[in-house]
Amino acid sequence: MPERILSRSVGLASLVVVTLLWELSARRGWVNPVLLPPPSAVAAELKELVVGGEVLNPLSHTVYLFLVGYGVASVLGIGLGLWMGCSAFADGLLEPLVELLRPIPKSALVPALFLFLGIGMATMVTIVAFAAVFPILINTYQGVRGIDPVLLETARTFRCSRWRTVRSVILPAAMPAILTGMKVSLSLGIVLAILAEMLAGLNGLGFVILDSQRAFQTRQMYAWIVILAVFGAALSLLFDKIEQRAVPWRGQ
Amino acid sequence: MSVRLSLRNVSKTFGGPRDGSGLLALDSISLDVAQHEFLAIVGPSGCGKSTLLRIAAGLMEPTSGEVEEGGRPVTGPPDRFVYLFQQYSKSLFAWRTVLENVMFPLENAPRARRAELRAECRQYIRQVGLASFEDRYPWQLSGGMQQRVAIARALAAKPDVLLLDEPFSAVDALTRMELQSLVLDLWKQNGFTAVLVTHDVDEAVFLADRVAVLSARPSRISETLTVDLPRPRHQITTREDGRFLELRHHLMSALLGDMAAGAQHA
Repeated sequence: MPERILSRSVGLASLVVVTLLWELSARRGWVNPVLLPPPSAVAAELKELVVGGEVLNPLSHTVYLFLVGYGVASVLGIGLGLWMGCSAFADGLLEPLVELLRPIPKSALVPALFLFLGIGMATMVTIVAFAAVFPILINTYQGVRGIDPVLLETARTFRCSRWRTVRSVILPAAMPAILTGMKVSLSLGIVLAILAEMLAGLNGLGFVILDSQRAFQTRQMYAWIVILAVFGAALSLLFDKIEQRAVPWRGQ
Repeated sequence: MSVRLSLRNVSKTFGGPRDGSGLLALDSISLDVAQHEFLAIVGPSGCGKSTLLRIAAGLMEPTSGEVEEGGRPVTGPPDRFVYLFQQYSKSLFAWRTVLENVMFPLENAPRARRAELRAECRQYIRQVGLASFEDRYPWQLSGGMQQRVAIARALAAKPDVLLLDEPFSAVDALTRMELQSLVLDLWKQNGFTAVLVTHDVDEAVFLADRVAVLSARPSRISETLTVDLPRPRHQITTREDGRFLELRHHLMSALLGDMAAGAQHA
């Protein structure tokens, strides 16, 4: 325990040192304070955004976009992954398609999607879902394939139906792998949500970051970046908590 | 005595069964198990004991030959056959508590009966001596306790035939003896037919009514021995019984002789 506290406080100290260095370099004019305003100025801007409630609209736009896209990706990824893992037919049918689509950098598809779905929510949700679906699908598939045969035979000896085996044995047994995939997709989903907002140019954290940069309001730009960072960290923390609850046997 | 489970000329070849290049694991094995009998199958490791049990359980198809239970051909796991795996920790559901694991075989029952079935499962958990652990998870328990959970779960399925695949080989010697006595008690109380596969001659003699000896690969049944030891059997006195030692001596000679012969051939 004391070791953990030590490493935590060292980590915190490094954060403080970097912030102080940043403050110092901006104040001393080592860097152009217009391009990199000191943290104190960014903090003041941040406070204004939060207290004034201005943060809510872009943040909720991003949260909504992310959650819908991530939700679609989770349902599709887990569903297809289970199907491919359980059925040789589905595996043969979908594996070449998945392997073809998977390596494409999803950001490259944003302009193409604008052509088909227009510049709007449909395109943005599609791109987030498309980026997030592959790690979930692949990990679900591998999780199902990695289930110990003894577990499946146990279900067979108790004469479980196919459906009950999938629901009560295969899905929970693959859950640690599924959550690993969902964790990877979490950050991918955020990246693509921000990128889509920047390109679609309507609303959201991605949009306001780019917009304030273009208006040369660098303080505001950094403040929005901090908000985005906090949002990402909170989501990741929340996910870890859920994971600990959902698969307490992992690593046992 | 009526025959509960019957194997007729069961052979199993692994790989290339058509061109004859496959590995013949089981060679024309015939075996009858009587209702309520405790049969043990012993053999050197790698002789295909588990394969034989898996075929009897309907988990694997024989290459040739027939398996029948109660006069019906076995094509998949028959109703009220329960298989107890050697790898208990892999057979238990890690995401379920002890009670929920034991409930598993009963979950097809209508919801209205849930409370009643839950009480029944608590009874099975008590029978295997885990009464205060029903809300723990399998990974929080020791190996011997995990196998007890698997036994309680098997009981919940109300087995007519219990197939035991070296169920005690992964626990320490004292726990093994405890579990052997537990299985004997449950066998007596619950009246199922038991088929045990083991490489432990002492275990086979201690538990069984009859011991079938499998030869090294390709396996045949080299002999079947009736264990005429009185019941109830006791871990200390039964094992000191002169007859126990005679039977053990006979089986050991058969198995070791077989291994020596195998070594000479190799």
